[in-house]
Amino acid sequence: MAGICCGVVGEGDTPAPLEPTTRPSRRRSLDILPLKYIADMAVPPSDGSRKRPKLDLRDRDNVVQNCDESTGHKVVKKEAKVEIHDNISETKNVTVADASEVEDSPKFGVTSVCGRRRDMEDSVSVRPSFTQGFHYFGVFDGHGCSHVATMCKERLHEIVNEEIDSARENLEWKLTMENGFARMDDEVNRRSQSNQTFTCRCELQTPHCDAVGSTAVVAIVTPDKLVVSNCGDSRAVLCRKGVAIPLSSDHKPDRPDELLRVQSKGGRVIYWDGPRVLGVLAMSRAIGDNYLKPYVISEPEVTVTERTEEDECLILASDGLWDVVSNETACGVVRMCLKAQKPPSPPGSPGSDVAADGSDRACSDASILLTKLALARHSSDNVSVVVVDLRRDQRQSSNSN
Amino acid sequence: MSVVPCNCNHTTEKDNLSGESESFHKFFECWISEQKQHLKDLLAAESTQLISDEELQALNDKVVEHYEYYYKAKSRCAKQDVLAMLSPTWMSSLEEAFLWIGGWRPSMAFHLIYSKSGLQFEARLDEVLQGLRTHDLGDLSASQLAQLDEMQRRTILEEREITDLMARHQETVADASMVELSHVVSEMIRANQRGEVDQSKEIENKVESTLVLKEEGLEKILLKADELRFITLKDVVDVLTPKQAIHFLIAAAELHLRLHEWGKKMDARKCNQGFGEGKSHNSSS
Repeated sequence: MAGICCGVVGEGDTPAPLEPTTRPSRRRSLDILPLKYIADMAVPPSDGSRKRPKLDLRDRDNVVQNCDESTGHKVVKKEAKVEIHDNISETKNVTVADASEVEDSPKFGVTSVCGRRRDMEDSVSVRPSFTQGFHYFGVFDGHGCSHVATMCKERLHEIVNEEIDSARENLEWKLTMENGFARMDDEVNRRSQSNQTFTCRCELQTPHCDAVGSTAVVAIVTPDKLVVSNCGDSRAVLCRKGVAIPLSSDHKPDRPDELLRVQSKGGRVIYWDGPRVLGVLAMSRAIGDNYLKPYVISEPEVTVTERTEEDECLILASDGLWDVVSNETACGVVRMCLKAQKPPSPPGSPGSDVAADGSDRACSDASILLTKLALARHSSDNVSVVVVDLRRDQRQSSNSN
Repeated sequence: MSVVPCNCNHTTEKDNLSGESESFHKFFECWISEQKQHLKDLLAAESTQLISDEELQALNDKVVEHYEYYYKAKSRCAKQDVLAMLSPTWMSSLEEAFLWIGGWRPSMAFHLIYSKSGLQFEARLDEVLQGLRTHDLGDLSASQLAQLDEMQRRTILEEREITDLMARHQETVADASMVELSHVVSEMIRANQRGEVDQSKEIENKVESTLVLKEEGLEKILLKADELRFITLKDVVDVLTPKQAIHFLIAAAELHLRLHEWGKKMDARKCNQGFGEGKSHNSSS
């Protein structure tokens, strides 16, 4: 049933014989769901309309599946706990950083949930003031297993920091980020080829777990710029004066330039539940996935955007959100939350003060609302959302209030 | 609410294999009718504003206790006859097809809450965005969502551990003692056919004691599975506000009752059409 796609695939001639789910059509209809508050927004054309249901590698890879079902449960358990711990300590660190550097740190909120998946493969990394007044936000959506996404979460900001340091005077963002991603990819591949084990469900698997990878979308917020580096199908969207502006473009195998690139290396895009590189991976760039090189590359696309007074927020999220919520809807929801005098989250609900964790209340409300919206719209994937408040005058106005 | 009239403990006919099954079947029918009454109570509580959180909490507690009562009865019956508990005659074929170790899959609880929460969230999205509280499952807070997420991951891990235990136990059906016994008994049967007589009582005892071990293993696993089911339900309810818990328990009861009914209808239809061996239990509930 797999159709091999040889030419540049346009929207019209996309052979997708295996598109059995009803999700795309449902999504389309739900995206038109009347959200009153966005009705008056200028709506630029959506960038990601050609997304398809992504069947994760793991669903088809028996080896990994076995690993998942039959081994390493206790290890996984340990990892899950560490993960949670991490989040807590991370946000606590954030609180400290916030207190000392209130001037620079933009407000942010993070939500990351397993959702309707049985495995959590998303990771989120938030490092305010990770270097000299720059703030780092990253979302990583793993496939095959969680360890590449976890490594990205733990290491990529350090690597990028080193790259920024070494560039110093002549900081050239595109080059810096490309180097950073390349080094990250190297580390991942060296580690999966070493005999080192992972503390995830891959452990006890063959040391060569090449069939594991992760998307990476990283935003570095500087006083005057937004630097977004993307590899894979997670996405960064800027909300500027009510308009949703995507700052990254998903690396789908049927994106015409990506398709050409894959084919120029001798690779093929095969339609198997959507377009996939070699019929396997539903994205054309990723960190890891050594076995799909040189077709799947880790080189990011980097956009550098000058910040303006009209910038409202930045949203980074995994496809668990973007598969079911349009850029415009997401921006509309976040704007509502940032504008709201009263936060929409139920103040009296049990333990809601626990959420006051160094991240900002309105931004957290926004990230949670988006996550809930994704779950409500039947997202079948892990959902991770980071919301960054970019408004310049926020402190002034909150002080004057 | 009256005390449950059918007590599972009364079975004395240990030799009668269908005894435990029949007795639990009666218990189940009775429990289901109580669940229907609870659903009415929950709906009534949900629709009125004039009810305090304490009263809501008391109702939730009562309903959760009712589930606990079910699992206690089930575990008592399993001690008598675990096999009957693992091939339930009281469920429809539809329900049976979706069983995980003799009951519902614990991680389903999170899908139930996400689905119900999603429906309520989208239905009142405008209000939510304006910062109004809906007090239902659409209103899940950040910490509730975080707790549910953490519980979900833990539940899935525990579910996998129990699945694994079951796998290992299932594999022991072909362990050395079973294979040896099956061979010895087969030899005996062949000897008998040749007229060489003499059934060894010793062997029969050995077969029985070996199978008892298998049953004990199953019982332990079933107990763990039922514990996880109940704990998951209870933990989810505990994370919610009393009002939200009412919504969750309504959704759980509705799904359970309707699935049971739909399944029974399907069985009855197949029976009437004379197909195969559809479930013949069509008792009134």
